[in-house]
Amino acid sequence: MKRANTFAVAALTAIGLAGAAVTATADDVVRIGTEGAYPPFNFTDSDGNLVGFEIDLAKAICAEMDVTCEFVAQDWDGIIPALLASRYDAIMAGMSITAEREEVVDFTNKYFQTPARFIAQDGSGITDTSPEALEGKVIGTQSATIHANFLEDQYEDADIRLYPTQDDANLDLASGRLDLVLADSSILAEWMDTDDGSCCNFVGGDYTDPEYFGEGVGVALRENDDALREKFNAAIASLQANGTVDRIAGEWFSYLND
Amino acid sequence: MAELFSLLAFGPDGWGDELMAGAWLTIRLALVTLPFGLMLGLAIALMKEADHRYIRAVGNVYTIVFRGLPELLTLFVIYNMVQLMANRLVQMVAPDSSFEISGFAAGVVALGVVFGAFSSEVFLGAIRAIPKGQTEAGRSLGLSPWKTFRLVRLPQLWRLALPGLGNLWLVLLKDTSLVSVIALNDLLRQTQVAVGVTKEPFFFYLIACLIYLGFTLISSVGTNALERQANQGFATR
Repeated sequence: MKRANTFAVAALTAIGLAGAAVTATADDVVRIGTEGAYPPFNFTDSDGNLVGFEIDLAKAICAEMDVTCEFVAQDWDGIIPALLASRYDAIMAGMSITAEREEVVDFTNKYFQTPARFIAQDGSGITDTSPEALEGKVIGTQSATIHANFLEDQYEDADIRLYPTQDDANLDLASGRLDLVLADSSILAEWMDTDDGSCCNFVGGDYTDPEYFGEGVGVALRENDDALREKFNAAIASLQANGTVDRIAGEWFSYLND
Repeated sequence: MAELFSLLAFGPDGWGDELMAGAWLTIRLALVTLPFGLMLGLAIALMKEADHRYIRAVGNVYTIVFRGLPELLTLFVIYNMVQLMANRLVQMVAPDSSFEISGFAAGVVALGVVFGAFSSEVFLGAIRAIPKGQTEAGRSLGLSPWKTFRLVRLPQLWRLALPGLGNLWLVLLKDTSLVSVIALNDLLRQTQVAVGVTKEPFFFYLIACLIYLGFTLISSVGTNALERQANQGFATR
């Protein structure tokens, strides 16, 4: 029995060394896992190519880090296990930074966040959405959401109405019962593309305070892969500073340009 | 309607070639797994019939474990955990190296191991259905144990096992859809990607259904032919 064990170790070692010869030279390749089915973050076009905001951003980040990017597309369900098993080195798949995930992986700083925004009927004349300017206005949002918490904390002097679903709030805005609605801008943008939503448009700026709206979307890495995390953070910071992140996001999220 | 069917075009604008590539991977995976799973199943069945008590125990434990584990878990274990352990082992010797088990290989091993567990029971049933007299007759004709097995027992065993194995083949064909979690683009994964982009779930799921049903039809033609062949020499009533 003992001899069998020794033999197994030796055999595995031999296979491993054969594998090592192939991969040891690939030091400056960063393999990025993504889902490939979550437009417009990352998806597959009808020609079978991976495309999307995160694919373009990853290429820019890898160029900034001076490494070669390789993409691996696989289902969301196995995406973290495969990272932990070193199938790839990083995940860029619209993954929000959450406390639960922080327990098994490390995140870089966020590279994207869908901001919360206000919408109002066209011609409402509202442009300033500060708490003082909205005193006495009727604002709706979905109850038990980060948006409801934000409104109740910051907009005490407004008349806040909470609805069981976001669609209920939106419809009351369309029918004139509400002056404004606050919600996730990507959800609102989708609604405003429908017939019901054609009445309305974004007013004011983005709200992204992490205290209310979470940490955004980041690159997930194996824990203790600090060197790589620092490289990612540095690249993300410089791409944010020179406007590349905003430019790429604008290409994929049309509502950001409104 | 014509608009929907244009989504199935081959080439850069349609999903036809992607779906076909997925279907081809599904077929390849199932066909490569089959011989591996069959041999494993037969070996395990023979172990369960062995004289030595420990060999029987190994066969039984194997069946309990791999019939009991969800196949998704078996896939994860082989693709990720075995990979992880192999890497740890390799890195003890050469710290800067890594070792990769390809998704396809992991899929074949995982599906084959499960197929082996289930088919061993089918083989076992077939083995036990062959009268002991057949073995004794073979031996008394002067055939070696191996030749007795190959020439006398195996053809009869094969005939009895075929219907059960045909079932397991269809199960295997459909279980290939689990491999999308290990970065393989099988038919179902390609369908889901197409749905995500085109927002036409019913159309694409229907197409996938038809492709799987097509596989099933072809398979039953094949198993029927095999059964006819195996039944040669047996009187039909």
